[in-house]
Amino acid sequence: MNQTLKKPVSIQKVILRLLLYFVVLDVCIITLYPYFAMFTTALKSRVEIFSSNGTILPVTALWSNFIEIWSRAPMGRYMLNSFLIAGGSTIIAMLCGIPAAYALARMKFKGQTAFLGFVIVSQMFAPVVLLIGIYQVMQALGLTDSIVGLIFINAAFNQAFTIWLLRGTFMGISAEMEQAATIDGCNRLQSMLKVLLPVAAPGIVTTLIFIFINAWNEYTVALCLISTDTLKPLTVGINTFNGYNMIEWQYLFAASIFAVIPVVILFMCIEKNLVSGLASGGVKG
Amino acid sequence: MNKKILRRAEPYLWIAPSVILMAIFIVTPILKVFQMAGNKVSRTGQLRGFNNFENFATVLKNPTFGLVLKNTIVWTIAVVVLSTVLGFVLALILNNKFRGRKIARAIVVFPWATTLVIQASAWNFIINTDYGTLNTLLMKLGILSAPMNWTPTPEAYFAWEIACGIFVTVPFVTFCVLSGLQSIDTTYYEAATVDGANYWQKLFKITLPLVKSSLTVSTVLNIIYVFNSFPIIWTMTKGDPANHTDTLVTYLYKLAFYNGRQGEAAAVSVIGFIILLICASTYMIYTLRKGDDEL
Repeated sequence: MNQTLKKPVSIQKVILRLLLYFVVLDVCIITLYPYFAMFTTALKSRVEIFSSNGTILPVTALWSNFIEIWSRAPMGRYMLNSFLIAGGSTIIAMLCGIPAAYALARMKFKGQTAFLGFVIVSQMFAPVVLLIGIYQVMQALGLTDSIVGLIFINAAFNQAFTIWLLRGTFMGISAEMEQAATIDGCNRLQSMLKVLLPVAAPGIVTTLIFIFINAWNEYTVALCLISTDTLKPLTVGINTFNGYNMIEWQYLFAASIFAVIPVVILFMCIEKNLVSGLASGGVKG
Repeated sequence: MNKKILRRAEPYLWIAPSVILMAIFIVTPILKVFQMAGNKVSRTGQLRGFNNFENFATVLKNPTFGLVLKNTIVWTIAVVVLSTVLGFVLALILNNKFRGRKIARAIVVFPWATTLVIQASAWNFIINTDYGTLNTLLMKLGILSAPMNWTPTPEAYFAWEIACGIFVTVPFVTFCVLSGLQSIDTTYYEAATVDGANYWQKLFKITLPLVKSSLTVSTVLNIIYVFNSFPIIWTMTKGDPANHTDTLVTYLYKLAFYNGRQGEAAAVSVIGFIILLICASTYMIYTLRKGDDEL
């Protein structure tokens, strides 16, 4: 019975489907190509990379390149530094951003619009434009060439994004539950921590990941502020293999893969939440 | 009475940590930059008194600045416009239900999650004339017979940098639009189908108006990010040869930290700052007004 009710598949639909797969496949191939190039190059020998008769896949895969980088540069330190910087920035940005976003979403106060306006405008100022000023401030605070300094800079420059995303999330959640909790005797802090934050979890996770990735990937400020080799994050540190007259591509890419993998895995874990989290800023419950 | 004061002060306590953080690490540097731009500055960064906007005069008189400004505009517009169009189309494609959609989405995230430095290094390697993998690949496929010089001129190199910029910006647009698409109620489409609307009518009358806000957000944020983008150009060409691929940010970095002309660098910062401020204010007025309408 059901079989006979099924609509016949039109040729147009089949063609569209094929076209869809064709485009998606192309997009995926182009997107993955740099990673393919990086990975295969990381497995080649120096001679093979620079030979005039190039190869696509390595003749023999030199897995030792992946081990070699750890002794040729303080890779372990770089990685630890990146984790410290990204983790620290995330914690500070959230600790400052959650209450601010909460106040903007749930309270009315004088200067609210001005503050919100400043938050939006502050988004404009990528650290690179203010680098000279940042350098001076850090010098005054004694935080040049320090991981703590980078943590604060990253946290500050991610405030706008944090507040904006979280405010959207909080505003999308009805305040009724919190009001009920207040009647039951909770104060604002308790009602936020116990009622609002668990409901807002997807939005919070999204924000967390955003900041973490931004800070992990940050390059310019670290390049400018950090001069001690053992304090460099991965993004700056891997340039050890990018010498002035000779680039050790195989090591550069082997090290790069270590810098890319954690972030990509992180992103994949939250990909679903990420999209719904982004959407929750616009959807009102 | 005391309680009343506390109630009034409460919101300010909630925003205080954020305000302090931004005051120290964003506002102070802004003030510093302005101060330096108006002063004669020694190589070590010591202020030597107000010099009647001489820093601005020096910067604006230098013909390099015109070139750099032109590059910055070309770079920003090309990357933002092309990424927005491509990202929007890609979002429409990925919003279809098909086998492997999850995998495709995960793959599209890659360039977004990767540091710009690494992405730029990879492309720099791929397009290298002597040993780049693009030449190798095309020769193995029989498309090329001899290695091609992909970067014969500085302009060509700049075009590759723009391509790299687009490559890393598209995912952000795609995900912003996807999030907008997923919040659209499917009953709109069902109703339109019943009314006999075709694909394009649905696209322009339903989809586009409803994702407009996501698209605005992603476009404005991209203008800021791309305008301020440093790592791609720094990794690929460092603005060379002779400033032909410099944008405002790479130019000011070189002025400040390579040539020790911090006063001029501060002046360039201020100019960039003003350009961005104009964009920002426009955006702010737009969003705040829109926010009021929604309420």
